[in-house]
Amino acid sequence: MNKRSFFKIFITTFIVFFIILPIIISNTSWPTLARDYLFEMALDETGAANTVSSIYLGYRLLDTLGETLVLFVAIIGTMSILSNLHKQSLQSIETYSKLPLEKRAKNSLRTNLVEVVASKLGPIILLFGLYVMLYGHISPGGGFQGGVILASAIVFLALGTEVKSKLTNTNVLFKIESFSFISLILVTTYVVFFPNGFFSNIDTNNTFISASIIIILNIMIGLKVGTSLASVIIAMMGGQNDH
Amino acid sequence: MIVNNLFLTPLFLPILAASIILIAKSFLSVKARQFFEYFGIVLGLLLPILIVILLYPYVIHNGSISIIIGSYTPKIGILYKFDSLSLVMIVLTNLLTLPAWIYSRSTNTSHSYFTVLILLQSAIIAGISMTCDIFNLFVCLEVMGLIAYVLIASKNEKNAVFAAFNYMMYSSSSMIFFLLGSFGLYRLVGSLTYQEIAKTLVTLSSKDQNIAMICLILMIVPILIRVAIMPLSGWLVNAHSKAPHAVSAILSGILIKIPLFVLIRLFSISPLMHNLTLVLSYMGSATALIGVILALSQSDAKKLLAYHSISQIGYIVTSWSLALHHGIETTLGSVLLIAALFHAFSHAIFKGLLFLSIGTATDAAGSRDVYKIRVVNQRLYNKGEKYPLTMICFFIGALSIMAIPPFNGFFSKSLLTYYIKPSINYTILSIASIGTIASFIKLSKIFLPSKEIEKPIKELNTSKFPFSIHLSLIILAALSLLTGIFAKEIFNLLERMFISTNIKPIKYSIFFSKTNVLKTLYTGLGGILLFVIATSKYGSKILHKLRMVKNDFIDQYVAYAITLALFFWVLIV
Amino acid sequence: MIIERVLIFFIFITGFIGLISMKNIIKKIIGLNLLTSSVVLLFILEASRIGDEAPIIDNKVQNIVDPIPQALMLTAIVIGVCVTALSLAMAVRLYKTTGSLDIEIIKQRLEDDCE
Repeated sequence: MNKRSFFKIFITTFIVFFIILPIIISNTSWPTLARDYLFEMALDETGAANTVSSIYLGYRLLDTLGETLVLFVAIIGTMSILSNLHKQSLQSIETYSKLPLEKRAKNSLRTNLVEVVASKLGPIILLFGLYVMLYGHISPGGGFQGGVILASAIVFLALGTEVKSKLTNTNVLFKIESFSFISLILVTTYVVFFPNGFFSNIDTNNTFISASIIIILNIMIGLKVGTSLASVIIAMMGGQNDH
Repeated sequence: MIVNNLFLTPLFLPILAASIILIAKSFLSVKARQFFEYFGIVLGLLLPILIVILLYPYVIHNGSISIIIGSYTPKIGILYKFDSLSLVMIVLTNLLTLPAWIYSRSTNTSHSYFTVLILLQSAIIAGISMTCDIFNLFVCLEVMGLIAYVLIASKNEKNAVFAAFNYMMYSSSSMIFFLLGSFGLYRLVGSLTYQEIAKTLVTLSSKDQNIAMICLILMIVPILIRVAIMPLSGWLVNAHSKAPHAVSAILSGILIKIPLFVLIRLFSISPLMHNLTLVLSYMGSATALIGVILALSQSDAKKLLAYHSISQIGYIVTSWSLALHHGIETTLGSVLLIAALFHAFSHAIFKGLLFLSIGTATDAAGSRDVYKIRVVNQRLYNKGEKYPLTMICFFIGALSIMAIPPFNGFFSKSLLTYYIKPSINYTILSIASIGTIASFIKLSKIFLPSKEIEKPIKELNTSKFPFSIHLSLIILAALSLLTGIFAKEIFNLLERMFISTNIKPIKYSIFFSKTNVLKTLYTGLGGILLFVIATSKYGSKILHKLRMVKNDFIDQYVAYAITLALFFWVLIV
Repeated sequence: MIIERVLIFFIFITGFIGLISMKNIIKKIIGLNLLTSSVVLLFILEASRIGDEAPIIDNKVQNIVDPIPQALMLTAIVIGVCVTALSLAMAVRLYKTTGSLDIEIIKQRLEDDCE
């Protein structure tokens, strides 16, 4: 690169370096207010023993809703940008999962080993993802983590050829996604009729009802995240079906 | 209790409407989808306006309503506050998305995605205008940005995708700096709410206060990128000119104004930020002048309008920063804030009108070059338009932006320039108005008859001109006229919302006083003179040179770093 | 200790230099990812200084770490993933329609097509 752009890069990096340096070097200790409060009250007020779950599903549920919106908008954008790109013949829509032998030399990374092992592992990872999703409130895990594992399980099923599953069809994934989106909205907002208002939990003692609301929220978030990420990856692999 | 939850409906109703449309899209047939789209727009855009207008008496009476979402403890929960500023922003957004949506009914094929994105955007803007929490602001700003990138790239044409990519890299990397700033603030304070931070900040040591100032700078400059003040506006020209027409109207009208008014809350966190406001006002007036000079030199019609957006946002930033400089509680500060809000509102209306009408005209003419196309009426007649409605609406928009009575541009610009009188900003903004008139005379040349004899122009118009285009243009033109005629009543309303005492400081005699009318006349004459100079040989050479100035990817970041350094120098040194 | 923060800061600067100076679009996207990851790491590292154990309330835990940054960073990571996915889709589209991944060549070809 020539001298001018080198000079510009140097100036920019220099300024950014010296502006951010005081924040990194300063030695103030981390505040403990939030931690002490949560240690005492989180289990009682929200019903989740995992305090991280109690924050993003209880105290700050609106941030979680914003995050599902982020995912959703990114999915719409990605699908619409990639929509007409792989439109070749009708036959090639199915090539991502059933590579005939004569085509395998071109796609040398998709060997037989990858396809068989991936399709055998797919259902097992699906089960593991569901476990992480459902036990999110009492052990490390939760909706997002479980959802991402679900997405990788669906991608494995798409990569393999031994197991045929409806889950790799983007139309089916879109249906699951819209269903979980609307149930998420309804679960968070029907509580307006209860005294605590929008985005609250019905019961603020550590009872069965509050814990089950947390579980339902985890499931909805996990399904939404999982199906969104899986449909993006399947669209990038070329297997997108039109609505 | 019911009032406390009622003000959250502009946040919640559009999301519910969007999810209903999605369910209809995935499970039902095409006909049913149409019905659900209309239902969703009524539920998500019109109903929140009604609810918010219902809440107007509470806001006048109590000043503001604030709750913690979910009624949890204030140490950890998210605080939301609804005051008169949020009311104005929500009404602005919902009211101006509607004509853009109606316009887009005529062009789009994968239409339900556009409706869903519009509804989500209106919900998120309601969230941004009410939030009092740093991390919630981060999430909402990211969603707003993502919706903007997807809307720009929705045309699927390579120019639009590249403009969206450029904007995305620039804006997303600056939001990382925002996150870093919020890290610094949380470490010093221990809470994420504005009020808590403001309270704790005065008790810190001076070294810690400097670090807090650095964090606030790191949080403010990314928001200023969205507002597109001059050093930071490299992304705006390509993004607004290459996007589809309805999307350009929404971007220019709404998405560059909302982050500006959110900054008012951030500036109230610490009184030390006061030193920045004068610098911001000079940046704003420089933006207005440079924007209009660059606009005069453009040949592409939509790029000209995009540079005008930069110039007009310079006007708004000048008035806004002077309002903060005098203090929002004082009368002068409140009047300047009202002027900024009204100019934002009228700019959204007339810029939307201009983008939509110029978009239709250039689509009919086939090219966007202002120097080449002429007689656009004939082309529109060929497409099926019986009366020259597009040309009339374009002229209404042009008269508005040139600040000619009785349209709303005249009232908003007069109020703005009257109250910033004794400073250098006044002279710069007056010069910018001259440039505005000159460039719009240049733009309206496309409707003139052409000198060359072309092939037979009047064809048989068998195609029907889409009714939705006419409907959206008529709505915007009517709004422009009505807000101009009823400007006095609107100012009254805004005064009651923002000024707490009983005195009414806006003197209505200033609009049609002798000085103001003479000033408008002189500006008009100066504009015609400038246009004649600009189209002469010497002028066109200068303008051609200006048009060739290139804007690299790296230059945006150099501007960003220079702005950071400037603010750092003003606040800390 | 301070050495860990300084190292994370160097990752940040590396990501930033990658974003602005690399010509290839994919390398710019990688730079953006590095920026996000470094800020996430910084937040979580600093929050884990005040305690010893994972923040799950049990009978035996005494001293948990601060759970708020962990919840905030979940959101930030998802936002980073979404931006990466969208930008990669745009990169694919630009490659298929202009034939190159270099940002200067893409700009050149878009201008030539316009005129």
